[in-house]
Amino acid sequence: MTHNNAAPIAHVRNFCIIAHIDHGKSTLSDRLLELTRTIGERDMAEQVLDRMDLEREKGITIKAKAVRMLHDHADGQQYELNLIDTPGHVDFSYEVSHALSACEGAVLVVDAAQGIEAQTLANLYLALEHDLDIIPVINKIDLPAARPDEVAHEIEDLLGVPADEVLRVSAKEGLGAQELLKAIVERIRPPMGDDSRPLRALVFDSHYDSYKGVIAYVRVMDGIIEAESLLLTMSNRRRIEPMEVGVFGPQMRPVAQLGAGDVGYVATGLKNVRDCRVGDTITGATQPVAEPLPGFAPPKPMVYAGLYPVDNADYTDLRDALEKLQLNDASLVFQPESSTALNMGFRCGFLGLLHMEIVQERLEREHELELLATAPSVEYQVLLTNGEVIIVDNPSELPNLSQVEEIHEPWMHISLFSPSEYIGPLMELTTGRRGEFEKLEYLDERRVVLEFYIPLAEILVDFHDQLKSRTRGYASMDYAFDGHRPGDLVKMDILVNEEPVDALSLIVHRDSAYDKGSLLVRRLKEVIPSQLFAVPIQAAIGSKVIARTNVKATRKDVLAKCYGGDVTRKRKLLERQKEGRRRLKRVGKVDLPQEAFMAVLRLND
Amino acid sequence: MTRGGIYLHIPFCEAKCIYCDFCSYAGLEALHGAYVDALLVQIRQSGSSRHGLTFDTLFVGGGTPTVLTSEQLAAIVAACRTWLGLPEDAEATVEANPGTITQASLAALLQAGYNRLSIGVQSLHDQELALLGRIHDVRGALEAITAARAVGFSNLSLDLMYGLPHQPLARWQATLERALALAPEHLSLYALTIEERTPLARSIALGALPAPDDDLAADMYELAQEMLSACGYAQYEISNWARRSPGDQPGQPPARACQHNLHYWRNEPYLGLGVGAHGYDGQRRYAHIVDPEEYVRRVAAGESTLASSEAISRDQAMDETMIMGLRLANGVTRDRFRRRFGVELDAVYAEALAALANTGLLEVDATGIRLAPRGYLLGNRVFAEFMRAGS
Ligand SMILES: Nc1nc2c(ncn2[C@@H]2O[C@H](COP(=O)(O)OP(=O)(O)O)[C@@H](O)[C@H]2O)c(=O)[nH]1
Ligand SMILES: [Mg+2]
Repeated sequence: MTHNNAAPIAHVRNFCIIAHIDHGKSTLSDRLLELTRTIGERDMAEQVLDRMDLEREKGITIKAKAVRMLHDHADGQQYELNLIDTPGHVDFSYEVSHALSACEGAVLVVDAAQGIEAQTLANLYLALEHDLDIIPVINKIDLPAARPDEVAHEIEDLLGVPADEVLRVSAKEGLGAQELLKAIVERIRPPMGDDSRPLRALVFDSHYDSYKGVIAYVRVMDGIIEAESLLLTMSNRRRIEPMEVGVFGPQMRPVAQLGAGDVGYVATGLKNVRDCRVGDTITGATQPVAEPLPGFAPPKPMVYAGLYPVDNADYTDLRDALEKLQLNDASLVFQPESSTALNMGFRCGFLGLLHMEIVQERLEREHELELLATAPSVEYQVLLTNGEVIIVDNPSELPNLSQVEEIHEPWMHISLFSPSEYIGPLMELTTGRRGEFEKLEYLDERRVVLEFYIPLAEILVDFHDQLKSRTRGYASMDYAFDGHRPGDLVKMDILVNEEPVDALSLIVHRDSAYDKGSLLVRRLKEVIPSQLFAVPIQAAIGSKVIARTNVKATRKDVLAKCYGGDVTRKRKLLERQKEGRRRLKRVGKVDLPQEAFMAVLRLND
Repeated sequence: MTRGGIYLHIPFCEAKCIYCDFCSYAGLEALHGAYVDALLVQIRQSGSSRHGLTFDTLFVGGGTPTVLTSEQLAAIVAACRTWLGLPEDAEATVEANPGTITQASLAALLQAGYNRLSIGVQSLHDQELALLGRIHDVRGALEAITAARAVGFSNLSLDLMYGLPHQPLARWQATLERALALAPEHLSLYALTIEERTPLARSIALGALPAPDDDLAADMYELAQEMLSACGYAQYEISNWARRSPGDQPGQPPARACQHNLHYWRNEPYLGLGVGAHGYDGQRRYAHIVDPEEYVRRVAAGESTLASSEAISRDQAMDETMIMGLRLANGVTRDRFRRRFGVELDAVYAEALAALANTGLLEVDATGIRLAPRGYLLGNRVFAEFMRAGS
């Protein structure tokens, strides 16, 4: 069997699956892979497309992947179906956008019990912007709580697709998956494009391979890519001599060529991901096109935090690790930063808190670094009295209040989807965090969308958990950046052992400064292990201390007798203790645990 | 010849105390005879493989060794003399718990050759004893001590515990005063430690008993240091005091120090026999299995009773010499370290010494290094520095 243009362009379908998180995208992808025998059942670990350990643990799909399936359709023809898996979490919605640009169609998965949720809509709107053919699918019809008829009507209202044309499947049990394959062939249009035209291929994702360099995931719009082709990136005119051209099956599998309409990869051999960015257009070096395809706006970080090695000696390792990670994650930005408390580290920008958590975990796990992260911050625009405007994404860098005219902070527009009985708690949650109510709409008799404007800083920490806990898990949220607005904000400094710890500074609204200060010093007292001396902890605004407490000195830390000469046990105990202390960061004379820098995250409990 | 000690473990108790996670079992009376026989066999077998060790101390610990008959305990010490060459005048300690001894049994033990008695008094307050699950009361403890003196034991050690649930400082002081009035030659004072999977740990987890208060325990420790020093006791180890004798030399442990335990703290070899017992032959550390029935079976079948055995590298031996030796008031001397390892202590532990400089935890002078007074209660902070990575 040959894989080169196994199918003429009329027999190619490029599609993605979009859904709210946990509605079953990954499971459904697995079923399609099985049915098309892209993967033998025995090789089938659950959710094959979630490659990274982390993804499996967190049960989410982080990076989009592409895989080619061959499907024998009822018309006796074989079709090439290219499935592009997409992330569901709002932190990663830019990646959804990349994936959509490579497709003509989208399978919209909706959980039969949950119904339409925030990211269902957000992703659907994205898909409609990209003018995709939409196949709505109700999943998890096997669940006792499934209410497929109601959900079908919600979908009908939303999309105008008659309720009885909405497919009903159980990805878990494989029900209806065959019908879905049929619908993909019949309801999604084949790609347009022409093998004989000059090459234009869109880079919609990439990953880094230490042997083959940057692997660009491409969708060929026109023309042909062969391993022998000389290629060119259009944004920065980098020449590429591909080491390999192939498709994902789902493992990387070389093919002789990719033609118009195909999805696959080019192993570029490039060592720097910046030389072949997601969103770029690849063309032929000998016969380049004049105009690139519409690219992507690079995703803008929303959340900033400092990452520091626990051991200062690991600084260059951390830099190398961040660079490596950036090869696979173009949305990660970082620049060197130094802190009097923590020494040398990096200020990193993330798409959201989940993204931050994932980056930190990957650095620690895959690169065996011990890291300390400072509390996340948003990006403030600070108007100085001299008329200058500076950007501050690290609270410790906020200039003295006497030089500050006004501080502007980012505001978000958020949509909360929820059963109507939780309107009260949701109003309370949002207005308690400076949210401004905009409007309320009923989706049906029981479900509403509440829309608010709210400072990003207020939803950064713990908002999502609160949202879930106040609505027994029923509410979901979507958010988008709205703009900067001035606020009555002040910098709160934390002094440990009489010395300000820059990495603990935070910017808060003046009205909540006192409460947050007292709570923060209490939290710090809980997490800072007692030292060989008493350690005062204070919160201050300018020179005014607004809260204080004390961590008592350790007086006793010694092993009892050595029962029956068990020296080994003693040694192990000491080793464990020592290991524990190695994870502390010495700041001045005080050893601080990571939790101290994260104490700010728990100010709303 | 290298000198070392003999440790024999008797894993039986009448009842298990709430804090005990040590290898001891109540209700195995039927096994006593067979267990002693197995020990005797192992003592004899160890005699033929002594690897150039001479033994100059014996410690029979438990559990409660005195749940055995005096004849059984006599047979044990006799076997050590015969097979392991334990000299007549060697320190031979047996642990005894009030409630399991009588004047007659004590006389028999002295007669058999035990010359040091370590009595598990723990507290001299009835409620505390009851709470700990001890089988004796204060009167029983006092009677045991009087009896030991009466039959002629001239080297008595008392174990006491502090930091007990609901124990106020004043009550600890009262226990100490009463204990001092008995003029024992030796005192071991241990802070109650919460070991996992003990009834005590469960009670604390359930909130039925208060968690230990480290600050209060520290006050109790400091109080004991003052009181014992004022009464003529020298603290020669973190938890151990001996009554001063006229011939005591500065820089040397007092004559009444427990010679057997000094082997541990000096990181010298000791033969360990019996369930759960640990041993160190100078090259390897080993431990025996903990199940008494299985132990008896294996000895009878001629099988090994070891549960683990670990070769100790030279680096490890150095670290262990430090973490054990620093428990002693005299610490580790440069001389001793150099003689044993052929290198300078200061060179091997330059990093640790630098880290500890100015902490007030360690004293360094021309002879060697030792805990500073402030370091006694913070020993772990000091010891940990002497555990080199990877050793
Ligand atoms: N009962 C049932 N559970 C399903 C079905 N499809 C997916 N799930 C479960 O729903 C959870 C989320 O599925 P996953 O495929 O990871 O969702 P994704 O976040 O959209 O990729 C997992 O625990 C799946 O096992 C289904 O058809 N029926
Ligand atoms: Mg998934």
